[in-house]
Amino acid sequence: MLPLSSYFSLLYLAILLPGTVLAYTVLPQKYRRAVLLLSSYAVFWLVSGKLLCYLLFSTISVHHIGLWLENTQLEANRLLETAPKETRKDIRARTQQRRKKIVAFGIAVQFGILLALKYGAFFISNFNELADLMKVTVKLPVPSVILPIGISFYTMQAASYMLDVYRENIPADRNLMRLALYMSFFPQLMEGPICRYSETAQQLWDAPPMRWKNLMLGLQRILWGIMKKMVVADRLNLLITEAFDNYVHYDGFMIAAAVVCYTVQLYMDFSGTMDLVLGSGQIFGIKLPENFQRPFFSRTIQEFWRRWHITLGAWFRDYVFYPISLSAPIKKLPLLLQKRLGRTYGFIFSSIPALFCVWLCNGLWHGAGWNFIFFGMYHFALILVENIMEPPAVWLAKRLHINRDGILYRCMQIVRTAVLFCIGELFFRASSLKAGFAMFKKIFTDFTLARVKDNTFFSHGADKHDFLIVVVTLALILAVGCIQERGVSVRQWIEKRNLAVRLSLWYLLILFIVIFGAYGTGYIPVDPIYAGF
Amino acid sequence: MIYLKRTGCVMLFLLGLLVILLAASAIFKPKNNIPSAGMEETLANGILGEPENTIDVLIIGDSESRCAICPMQIWKETGFTTYVCATAAQKLSYSYTMLDRAFQRQKPKIVILETLAIFREMSLEDAVKEILYHRLPVLRYHDRWKCLHANDFGGAVLPVWTNDSKGYWNTKKVDPGSNEPYMGAMDNKSSVSLLNRRYVRAIKTLCEKNGSRLLLLSTPSTINWNYALHNGIQAVAEELGIEYIDMNLMNDRIKIDWSRDTFDKGDHLNHSGAVKLSLVLSEYLQEQGIFKDHRGDQAYAKWEDILKNRGTEPEEE
Amino acid sequence: MKQLIEILEDVNPGVDYNTCTDLVDGGYLNSLSILAIVAELEEAFDIVISTVEVTPKNFNSAQSLWEMVLRLKEE
Repeated sequence: MLPLSSYFSLLYLAILLPGTVLAYTVLPQKYRRAVLLLSSYAVFWLVSGKLLCYLLFSTISVHHIGLWLENTQLEANRLLETAPKETRKDIRARTQQRRKKIVAFGIAVQFGILLALKYGAFFISNFNELADLMKVTVKLPVPSVILPIGISFYTMQAASYMLDVYRENIPADRNLMRLALYMSFFPQLMEGPICRYSETAQQLWDAPPMRWKNLMLGLQRILWGIMKKMVVADRLNLLITEAFDNYVHYDGFMIAAAVVCYTVQLYMDFSGTMDLVLGSGQIFGIKLPENFQRPFFSRTIQEFWRRWHITLGAWFRDYVFYPISLSAPIKKLPLLLQKRLGRTYGFIFSSIPALFCVWLCNGLWHGAGWNFIFFGMYHFALILVENIMEPPAVWLAKRLHINRDGILYRCMQIVRTAVLFCIGELFFRASSLKAGFAMFKKIFTDFTLARVKDNTFFSHGADKHDFLIVVVTLALILAVGCIQERGVSVRQWIEKRNLAVRLSLWYLLILFIVIFGAYGTGYIPVDPIYAGF
Repeated sequence: MIYLKRTGCVMLFLLGLLVILLAASAIFKPKNNIPSAGMEETLANGILGEPENTIDVLIIGDSESRCAICPMQIWKETGFTTYVCATAAQKLSYSYTMLDRAFQRQKPKIVILETLAIFREMSLEDAVKEILYHRLPVLRYHDRWKCLHANDFGGAVLPVWTNDSKGYWNTKKVDPGSNEPYMGAMDNKSSVSLLNRRYVRAIKTLCEKNGSRLLLLSTPSTINWNYALHNGIQAVAEELGIEYIDMNLMNDRIKIDWSRDTFDKGDHLNHSGAVKLSLVLSEYLQEQGIFKDHRGDQAYAKWEDILKNRGTEPEEE
Repeated sequence: MKQLIEILEDVNPGVDYNTCTDLVDGGYLNSLSILAIVAELEEAFDIVISTVEVTPKNFNSAQSLWEMVLRLKEE
């Protein structure tokens, strides 16, 4: 058991973070970046111990690949200056070819490590089963490796850096320390957000001076995140674990409730962690990219994924969806299909290959398991259906004189999207795909309110008081979300109040967490969910 | 200058927070030591309801001690009063809390710390949390918002509940273990972590401040004890100057028969084992010559009653 | 430029392309319509738009799109 397993531990909140803040405040700029890097490696060490060497290896190799790519280009440029006109095209093509090979090699190394560590066991055990089915007596030993926490996140960052250098969106970084800081900045290393080099590297390197205002805003956001996680996510944990582990013993209502609770928990845990992470960054004046934008206000699944785990979606969009869509064979598809299916459908159907790849990757990224693959395919199907249904829906609405922007219609869409997402989360959380289907079936075949009537529903880890406080907290979060949806900044509003109001808000929030947080005897806090991916 | 001012602001803010948390603690602290009032570990915390200065010997530790020492048996033999403040898987941080609480009303002459707890792993975070929980009870009892009464606002803290088996918990069931010798002498030494050694020292200091003597005691267990652990405790005892008794090495006197005296194959003693051990412990306490036989003393009539009514029977689940 | 605006309005109607400068960041264009725009532009102006060009910077306004088209035409 390693000493640090969550940002919500005393070790991080009371020692690591304040210690870093203190050192950062008193030291001059040139040492501040060293403080950040040192803290980052200290946190990684406390989380994953010796597995720190994986991160170091990735950092060094990525740094090297970046330089290699750039030097190849520079060399070609030198050649181009003196080369006669007719050979220029040839040189360009050859350079491009070489650069492509280099970046492919770099990506293969990074994802090779990730695949071997994360998916090795999954592939081998599936291979064994297949061999078993075909009556071949080969049994490969299933390796048991320990993943460095956060590898899924920093590998994505490493890949995006190399690809951005390859695409010449950014210059290669000659400064190993800046790149190391980009790869490992401590608040984001466990659960993201997945940053782009162009977004954070220079900010981190600049290590802006500590500002009182940033400190206050950062701490405020951290508290807000702690509230989400400790009051809501942790409080629902017992019920969810019980229902998902022993679903055979429970009826459809219990399972449906657990699925909704899990979706709430996942959102509160992940977005709460992001509040803490972005808040930690803000203290140092570092602006990390947002990962959530009130996803449960989304009207479609597509919109949902633009507002939920934003940085992951953006990564897949930029490095999987566009490259595949714009690759030579697929690029022809829309114009080809247009003739047969008409414009709109031509485009929708020609996006299928890329969309499929994105969702397969998305499912697999969350973990090696058939339920995750199913989760990806489920969303792939939803988005496809959504696209196909859009034109008839528009037509129908017009015929029936339904205002698609009316509040009622919008609410209907929001609820529908949330329900669809919840169903996806059922399979996501289920211990296996089989269990997922069995649970899903139970919701419809075994639905009874008996447990609510005789109150046994409230004896599985969450009683009426627990639900009450969860609902109150969610209402508070919803209210803040509604205000933000209208484009009003709640934090700016608070900042303009006088000292007494601000002070009481601080004290109230802390007291609220202290009293209504689910910690201590009788509670088992949920492990950071996304750190496991 | 600006740094100074802001540090001042932060300090003032934290001071305000402390005041608020202390005020909340006054509300959330259980007003009685029973479960319905929100008390945790009531068996062990029954000590809080004992009349002031009536306990001669206090035992702290984990389930080993809870199943090994039978206070009513000791009372029967000697007329000395003992109380077992043991909880399952007790960490030394909580032992300290238990002891600190008990000293509020009791002045035991001897405090016995069962040694298995000394090896229980404890992180710095555990220790810090326990200190915070102890000093700011709102953190430990925060869940009581579910059942606050009018009395909690401003009412006095009056623990009145006591436990008739005096913290002793056991069963008469038998699940035999092996009588193979398990205490073969060796030089290996299991080491006690620095933090845990610090805690033993802190417990010793706390005892001395309250006029008690600390005694380290290993109760018999074939599963949990061996000679390397013995050596580890021996080293700690010598380092800190604490008396240490290992009952695993005294079986010629205690005569534990592992085919009859354990309810879980040698992990814990059962009632018959505990009676045997308590007889030997009684002899040890008598040898000290510092305790008074309270039998016949009107102030201790309750102990007589318990012995008359239920004998030395354990609290059984 | 006029032709470009026509294409844009054709692919994704309901936005004022003359003034809007946050087509991508503001969520007016989703990835599907971006692909459509790429295909239409390639056809109309006889250019090849590679993945590198598909950035918010290039797609945020009609003006930046037009600049990209001109640049690619030259190459």
